[in-house]
Amino acid sequence: MFLKYTRAVFAAFKMSYLSLVMDGFFIFATLLMPLIYALIAFGLLRDKGANYGIYVAIGSGLAGLWSTLLFGSGNAITSERWTGTLENIAALPTPLWVIVFGKTLASTMQSLLSMIASYLLGWLVFGYPLGIAQPLEFFVVLSVGIVSFVAFGLMLAPAFLLNPQIQQFQNAMEYPVYILCGFLFPVALLPFWTTPFSYILSPFWTARALQSAAGGTLTLDQLGVDCAMILLLGVIYLGIAALLFRIVLHKARVDATLGLQ
Amino acid sequence: MRRLIINLQLFWQGAVLSYRALFTWLRPTTFIASMIFFPLGQIMFFTLLGIYATGAQNASFFLIGNAMQITASSGIFGVTMAVGGERWAGTLMYLFGSPANRLAIFTGRAMVHVLNGFVEVLMGLAWGWLLGWVDFSRTDPLALGLTILIATFSTAAMGLLLGCLGLITLNIMFINNLIYFLLLLFSGANVPVTSLPWWMQYISWALPLTRGIQAARNVVGGAPLTQVIDLLAGELLIGVIYLVAGYSLFRVFEAEAKRRGTLEAF
Repeated sequence: MFLKYTRAVFAAFKMSYLSLVMDGFFIFATLLMPLIYALIAFGLLRDKGANYGIYVAIGSGLAGLWSTLLFGSGNAITSERWTGTLENIAALPTPLWVIVFGKTLASTMQSLLSMIASYLLGWLVFGYPLGIAQPLEFFVVLSVGIVSFVAFGLMLAPAFLLNPQIQQFQNAMEYPVYILCGFLFPVALLPFWTTPFSYILSPFWTARALQSAAGGTLTLDQLGVDCAMILLLGVIYLGIAALLFRIVLHKARVDATLGLQ
Repeated sequence: MRRLIINLQLFWQGAVLSYRALFTWLRPTTFIASMIFFPLGQIMFFTLLGIYATGAQNASFFLIGNAMQITASSGIFGVTMAVGGERWAGTLMYLFGSPANRLAIFTGRAMVHVLNGFVEVLMGLAWGWLLGWVDFSRTDPLALGLTILIATFSTAAMGLLLGCLGLITLNIMFINNLIYFLLLLFSGANVPVTSLPWWMQYISWALPLTRGIQAARNVVGGAPLTQVIDLLAGELLIGVIYLVAGYSLFRVFEAEAKRRGTLEAF
């Protein structure tokens, strides 16, 4: 069973990844948009000192990661509806979430290019010292963060399918997450009442821990708290995703309204 | 005279119908998301970034720059799709097959989006006023209105040029997004043009919005219309150049598409 699902995940991953890397919009969202953000941020923050180089590289990379996830994973099922293949996929013996997991993994992996591109820009073009002070901790946080990003994507895909009203806000959902997660400036700039919204977003904890690890200020306590929060939120996202997938399949098999817009 | 009236009717009908075709099939929430939440998010993000980088005393610099840049969402995305969308909708061959005046058809596609962009900028500035990031006490409203209108026109003219590319390429969303975000960098909305490398400054001055944003900052700061008239004249000239280039390209693509029989090729 596990092997069968793994094969299905890999097939969905491969198919989705190959189509994403050739898609002009995703090339833009993954590589060019974070570079433009990074150029603006490097231009604005250069007077703050060279230490901000790595801060900007991580922040703009995470911004690209979020945008790619929002559109890649958010449209993972909806795109099947547009092409008329949603009912076929829902009727397969392989669970729908397995296929969406493979597709979400593909968009998350592609979005990691954002971080690499921003990092290279800061290092090669601006000549900032972009050393990571705590590489082991950085790698741990990044790995945990990716798991949580995938869980977030699994939640977005059925949510967008079930409620087109939410998907209509897809474009408008980019900047609020950049702001609330403190990708390029600290959330301390925001009013106090926005803090709970930051806390329920796993990218906030990921950005916080990555920036601390890069700057060499990540203590063991913070590492524990941040990773625990990232994983806890990931589990919550997965729980919500499981519920949403059940509703999706109910609509497919009982109501027969899945393909309707 | 009769021909002029027909062309004006064509201009008006094209303007209204292309706008309705782009938006009326959407639910009101989509329209609200595009017109209110997306601009607000962008303005807040870059203004907060600017405040963090340079201090709260410079909030109005970033607020005005980004509020003005918001006009590109109508001017670039809206206008491009209004022209390039004809191909996607399968109506291009009817458009090119009609005897209608091409200039009226072409420029009509941008008209409502200019008004739309104007309202978007006003809303962006209103958000800034509500958040206390900008002070209009010394602003000449007429000068500001004229500045916004000219900047919106020149951006929409660039959108017409890009829309022509939409007639021959499948990657128009890539081009749209790229230009939109490059304007954030090159127009001086966030990084002062004078602090950009020299080669980037040449690009900045060849783009719409650069002079408009500078003029808007001056007017909000209390400058009378006479002090910004040169900037506005330059912005208008840039718009006319893009409009002429776009129209010329439109005619070339029409002739080529007809000659090759590739009007609907994908």
